[in-house]
Amino acid sequence: MKIKFNINNKLEDIEIKPAETLLNALRTNGFTEVKCGCNEGECGACIVLIDEKPVNSCQVLAMSVISKKILTVKGVGTLHNPHMLQKIFTSSGADQCGFCSPGMVLSAYSLLKDNPNPTDKEIVESLDGNLCRCTGYVKIIDAVRRTALIMNENITIRE
Amino acid sequence: MFNENLKWFFPSTISLAVRLIGQPGVILHGGGTRILKTQSRSIIGLVDVGKLKLNYIKYKNNLAHIGAAATFSDVVKYSKDNNCLLMLGAALSQAASTPLRNRITIGGSLKDFPQWSNLIAPLISLDAKIEINNGKTKIMSVEDYISEGTIKTKHLIKEIIVPEDESLFWRVKRFALLKFEYPIFNIALSLKMDNNIIKDARFVITGVKSRYKRFIKAENVIKGKILSEGLIKQCMKYIDPKFVSDYKYSDSYKTKAAIITIEDLLTELAVEKQ
Repeated sequence: MKIKFNINNKLEDIEIKPAETLLNALRTNGFTEVKCGCNEGECGACIVLIDEKPVNSCQVLAMSVISKKILTVKGVGTLHNPHMLQKIFTSSGADQCGFCSPGMVLSAYSLLKDNPNPTDKEIVESLDGNLCRCTGYVKIIDAVRRTALIMNENITIRE
Repeated sequence: MFNENLKWFFPSTISLAVRLIGQPGVILHGGGTRILKTQSRSIIGLVDVGKLKLNYIKYKNNLAHIGAAATFSDVVKYSKDNNCLLMLGAALSQAASTPLRNRITIGGSLKDFPQWSNLIAPLISLDAKIEINNGKTKIMSVEDYISEGTIKTKHLIKEIIVPEDESLFWRVKRFALLKFEYPIFNIALSLKMDNNIIKDARFVITGVKSRYKRFIKAENVIKGKILSEGLIKQCMKYIDPKFVSDYKYSDSYKTKAAIITIEDLLTELAVEKQ
């Protein structure tokens, strides 16, 4: 069946099955920026924001979020108009293979919206549902810290 | 795999939701994390609780009322400003991960009561009450809800009620060797104090053979006394959790770990009280 979902602030017609996860529904309808990792709610590759909160889309039945606002990483910023967080993730080497990056960016985006000046402990806690097998996390935490600093001081980054 | 003909219901009243779950194969859907783990083919209908507006946390007459659809994250956030939910907030902040805590509901976690539950031990230790509806409204203690078997019947959980007690000293511990592992057991200890005298105590462990255990003999030993090293030693004689071995840990390992953990937590409480 086709159902309208609010994805990245647009109403989208999504073809879903009653028992389908949000992850599957999004990917089969073209939102492939949402990655499928473990499919068990452990790795965070599939994180999307539902009503501004990060959730594992593999652990959500699509039918249960029909009336909610869904944000994928493409709703945070685009290739030609990236969000500050996305710019700093790339410039500081916080993404390597890039598979965990959509989930990482969304978790960090949600944190900074809620808490623009997080401590290192709060950054680590907010990323506790995101696994990365490349970076060792240090550069990711640095990137979130730098983004907070730059956004709080209204600094512009030159391309 | 789920049944292909799975049906969804979105009732806006509790009475309709209760009527719907009265049908065979129809169950409640809160956050859905547990349903997705089991994906039982016997489920033919899901009753979503989203429109019942049970995602509240409010504070009235020294009682915190937590709606069944409130998530673990909601409780953790609210607990930072409310004394009566500090213990529960501390326990739930250790559960799973941020994105899962944003999805796991209080009602769903209580009804399912998984072996690794971070919720049940603090609720029993806090002497929390539960309001359920199975056609009639009923309020009972969480402990009775589990021990008397109501948990296994068809009903809807409306809310959990947690009393505030400023004389409460507490500790919670989620025991897992790695953060990512399901905990081997969860412990919640609470002491109601009158100056230095222990008025009441509730020591609870989950993850044991009987799912949960209260150490009532140990609680009785320390009531009316001052918490001291000697008293803790005396009390520890009655801490006797029974575990089942699994593919990772033997029952004797779990028992030793639980006893040492409880002794450490009681010692911390004694130091805090001084």
